Amino acid sequence: MSRSEPNFPISTSIRRVLGVIFILFLALLLFLPRQSQEWLGHVGGPFARILEVPLHAVASTQDSIRHAWNHYIALQNVWEENQQLNQEVQRLQGEQNLLREQTIIATQFQQLLTYQETTPMTTLPARIIGRNVSNWYRAMIINKGNQDGIHPEMGVITDAGVVGRVVRVNPTTAIVLLLSDPNVAITGMVQNSRDEGLVQGTPQGTIHMKYLPPLSPVQPGDPVVTSGLTDDFPRGLQIGRIHQVTKADTDLFQLGEIDPIVDFAKLEAVLVITSFQPSLPSSLPKSTASLSP
Amino acid sequence: MTIFLDILLCFGVVLIQATFSTVLSAKGIYPDLCFILACVIGFRSGEYKGLMIGLTVGLFQDLLTPGGIGLNMILKGLAGGLAGVTTHTFSTVTSPAVLLVTFALSLGCGLASLVVAYPVVDAPILFHALSSGLLPQGLYNSLLTLGIFWLIKFIDPSLSMVHLGRGPR
Repeated sequence: MSRSEPNFPISTSIRRVLGVIFILFLALLLFLPRQSQEWLGHVGGPFARILEVPLHAVASTQDSIRHAWNHYIALQNVWEENQQLNQEVQRLQGEQNLLREQTIIATQFQQLLTYQETTPMTTLPARIIGRNVSNWYRAMIINKGNQDGIHPEMGVITDAGVVGRVVRVNPTTAIVLLLSDPNVAITGMVQNSRDEGLVQGTPQGTIHMKYLPPLSPVQPGDPVVTSGLTDDFPRGLQIGRIHQVTKADTDLFQLGEIDPIVDFAKLEAVLVITSFQPSLPSSLPKSTASLSP
Repeated sequence: MTIFLDILLCFGVVLIQATFSTVLSAKGIYPDLCFILACVIGFRSGEYKGLMIGLTVGLFQDLLTPGGIGLNMILKGLAGGLAGVTTHTFSTVTSPAVLLVTFALSLGCGLASLVVAYPVVDAPILFHALSSGLLPQGLYNSLLTLGIFWLIKFIDPSLSMVHLGRGPR
């Protein structure tokens, strides 16, 4: 059987010519000036666009898969971790608040203890565990009682000044009547003029200094301290400052209103004076002190 | 067991009063939770139980107040008992009755406490106590009692059906 001939017979010479033209075309592509290359680029541009579509599709699919992997599958553990971290943050914030509160309390106690170490009185620190149980008394409950050596009539102070007096003692608690209660009265002295008077609370919650001598030059702003004439407070403890002085025409004495130095509403810890040496101020010479009967 | 629970309730209320009084205060006026407890129990369970709860809670309160023991005990006992009597006086314990009776009892207890607590009670002190203490506290106490009364009535609707002569519930 003879070899079959192609359907479109092309002579060998023509093939050679076509081959040469193709090689020349390639060479022209390589060596053509830039303008011609641009023209060719314009001609091929639409084809490139058509090629871009599947390329973009593949790339976006890849991106989608990568995104899904990163954000949904791989991050599933991260979400759980985030929840745990949030809980941890909340717990730490709670702890931080607690520590801040403990720091404040510790600072207050530190101030009291520093004062306790420097003062010649024997005092016992106590925390306030309760306040007004009744509307008719201004009182507070402290966490020390007769088991700790607290007795009624003992004075209660802070490092700032006088707070009140113990009026009832239970085994582990004691009730302190504040200086602003009308049932508390202590002897006070205006530090500048050395005039003495009776410091007493009022039903309105203010503190008055009664029986100030009519000619006393007491001025608003004068500090008032304990005079040491009563058994529960030594001399010289701060009570407050004179806010105003009044005297009606019919009154025999002046009446001073005192701004207390202690903010009773914000008290958290106090010192109970368990004992002190009732003596004249230490600045006086001993020979003068010995003259007293 | 009931007595034990009643004592526990009284103890808890006094503890709340001593610990959270500053939280409960409105412009310096504290509600007297012991008084409210005595009244609510009186309205709820009659004069006998109101009296007993009042005496108990008053005793606990007296232990934590500077005044002598007995004043709050008697006053709260009376308040609880009188609130209980109300349940026999009115055929139906209504909200206005609760409000009025509690307000009047609070005012009475406050006046008695005032006379005992303050060394001197003259006209200015009495006026000040009435305007800044007794009346606001009476209103506060009665409103709180009414609120608790409504709450209990919501839980137990038979509370408002106390009829004359049926005796303590």
